[in-house]
Amino acid sequence: MPYFKKVLVANRGEIAVRLIRALREFGIRSVAVYSDADRASLAVSLADEAAYLGPSPSSESYLRIDKIIDTAKQHGAEAIHPGYGFVSENADFADACSGAGIVFIGPPADAIRKMGSKTSARKIAIAAGAPVVPGAEERISTVEQAREIAGRLGYPVLIKAAAGGGGKGMRRVDREEDLPGALRDAASESLRAFRSDEVYLEKLVLEPRHIEIQVLGDNYGNLIHLGERECSIQRRHQKVLEECPSPVMLERPELRVQMGEAALRVARAAGYTNAGTMEFLVDRDLNFYFLEMNTRLQVEHPVTELATGLDLVEWQLRIAAGERLTLTQHDISWRGSAIECRIYAEDPQNQFLPSPGRIDYLHEPSGPGIRVDSGVYEGWNVPFEYDPLLAKLIAWAPSRETAIHRLDGALSEYAIGGIRTNTSFFRQILADPDFRAGRISTDFLGRHTLLPAPEPALEQEAVAAIALAMNQARPLSPNPVAPASRWLDLGRESLLR
Amino acid sequence: MKLNTLIQGRQGRIWIDGARFRYEREDGQATEGQFSIARQEEGCQSILIEGRSYRIAQGAGGEVLIDGCPVAADVFDPRSMRSRKSGSSGSGRQEIAAPMPGRIVRVLVAPGDSVEAGQGLVVVEAMKMQNEMKSPKTGRVVEVRTRADAAVVAGEALVIVE
Repeated sequence: MPYFKKVLVANRGEIAVRLIRALREFGIRSVAVYSDADRASLAVSLADEAAYLGPSPSSESYLRIDKIIDTAKQHGAEAIHPGYGFVSENADFADACSGAGIVFIGPPADAIRKMGSKTSARKIAIAAGAPVVPGAEERISTVEQAREIAGRLGYPVLIKAAAGGGGKGMRRVDREEDLPGALRDAASESLRAFRSDEVYLEKLVLEPRHIEIQVLGDNYGNLIHLGERECSIQRRHQKVLEECPSPVMLERPELRVQMGEAALRVARAAGYTNAGTMEFLVDRDLNFYFLEMNTRLQVEHPVTELATGLDLVEWQLRIAAGERLTLTQHDISWRGSAIECRIYAEDPQNQFLPSPGRIDYLHEPSGPGIRVDSGVYEGWNVPFEYDPLLAKLIAWAPSRETAIHRLDGALSEYAIGGIRTNTSFFRQILADPDFRAGRISTDFLGRHTLLPAPEPALEQEAVAAIALAMNQARPLSPNPVAPASRWLDLGRESLLR
Repeated sequence: MKLNTLIQGRQGRIWIDGARFRYEREDGQATEGQFSIARQEEGCQSILIEGRSYRIAQGAGGEVLIDGCPVAADVFDPRSMRSRKSGSSGSGRQEIAAPMPGRIVRVLVAPGDSVEAGQGLVVVEAMKMQNEMKSPKTGRVVEVRTRADAAVVAGEALVIVE
């Protein structure tokens, strides 16, 4: 295998760890990069080599194209894997890599540019014969133009940022009189987030599912798809739980074939290579519409790996190294069900406020079918500068029902002390009858009231009281303000007797 | 051993006598029986109550995780509170550390200042909330290790009082 000898990982957190481990499997040396906040990170300690990028704000470290390229040259890395986020979908970064004679592990810069703008991606999709959400390809420049298009589409409509993602610069408009204000808000939000105020209009698909198709292409025109990921469980347009297969495909496998073919047509039209994801909306009648493309490895890629048995990072490396895709569409099959939970440092009891800080205690779950892609360890200080993703917990089982049970069991084992996390929130989702029945859409969390987390039973309260009482001498949570001396403990203990 | 409890916002009491316990809540509900406790590792233990098994792990501040479910819980003993107070006003240096990552808004004391127990030393802002860090004892400020506008990490020593 003509693999690389050394690859730089231009990312942090769990995905940096995931990539370093993959490189290790193939005997490739890894170079981690880090900011001030990440000096003690798991990724840095696991990598073969590590280099300092800059201060903690990502604009001074993980987004600094010049520093990343310089580091790769200094360390003699032949290729850079950008992970997701940061510079992963930056065509200028891909260009800078090739300019420096370094392989960018991802699609060509040209394909990133074509598919990076939603309006341009939409045009390519239409030309390739993929269905798109009814809407206007042209950029909205006046309120009159927007009013005319919205009238033609019929309300409700959705204003979206051309350069956007993650719900930023997006506004639902139900009535014509709300249009001017919503346009203004969406454009200014988009300008702040993406440095572009280009917005466009789409018909709002009601109760849609968000289902995406993973594609893989080599540099010789071979393209295959690895099926779908159901990503409808979202909070404020951010995915929190993903699964493969989609519950819809379990009943209608022909939908996977149709969506897969549409995704491949779009990928081919864009000249796409390496791993990428086509996002679709699927309506109540199972009509699907191309939405946008993510020109990188997705956060939720493990569910595809567990269901297909293929390693996506391995194929990214092989393709970037110039290997041919030896798999054909016939070789791809799906086995069982895989579900992923994004474990975030946030407080579900308190409006999901971020909860950075030190992880005082950590016990990660394990067992058959359980995979934990983690970027943290006990004692790690979760920085407040970055995304609060700590780890991804993925369960695989022969059936969706068993996967849900496995995941729930794993969540009950998962103990993270010192900071708050959303593990209990996932147990509420998994217990929901509609979720269990696969009746989900992107408004599941927004509209649907989950059953409240069960109040602890009297005996559980007694358990908490016993644990604390028995540990009063040596508290469960060591007090960081005033570390008590053992003599004080002994004195306190004797007072309690 | 008899302690007051505050669990999920409700007051109660826990009695422990050897391997027996009784837990009583302010609403009059109570449970009692035999228990056994085993430490598994730092921050995690197993409790058996009448043959039922519970796994207790350390959660976020003020919480324990019982089989993964967070439960807000605290126990108090008036006598031990007194003993802690008298202990901390004794001799020795004490570090006042940042409870969470954030930014220093104001430093209220300078090295050499005399301070009373409970007097404010620094104001830390984290996630748009300002917290005044107070002196745990009456004494003298030996060292101020931070300044206004500095970013701090959780556990970082800010002021040392002697």
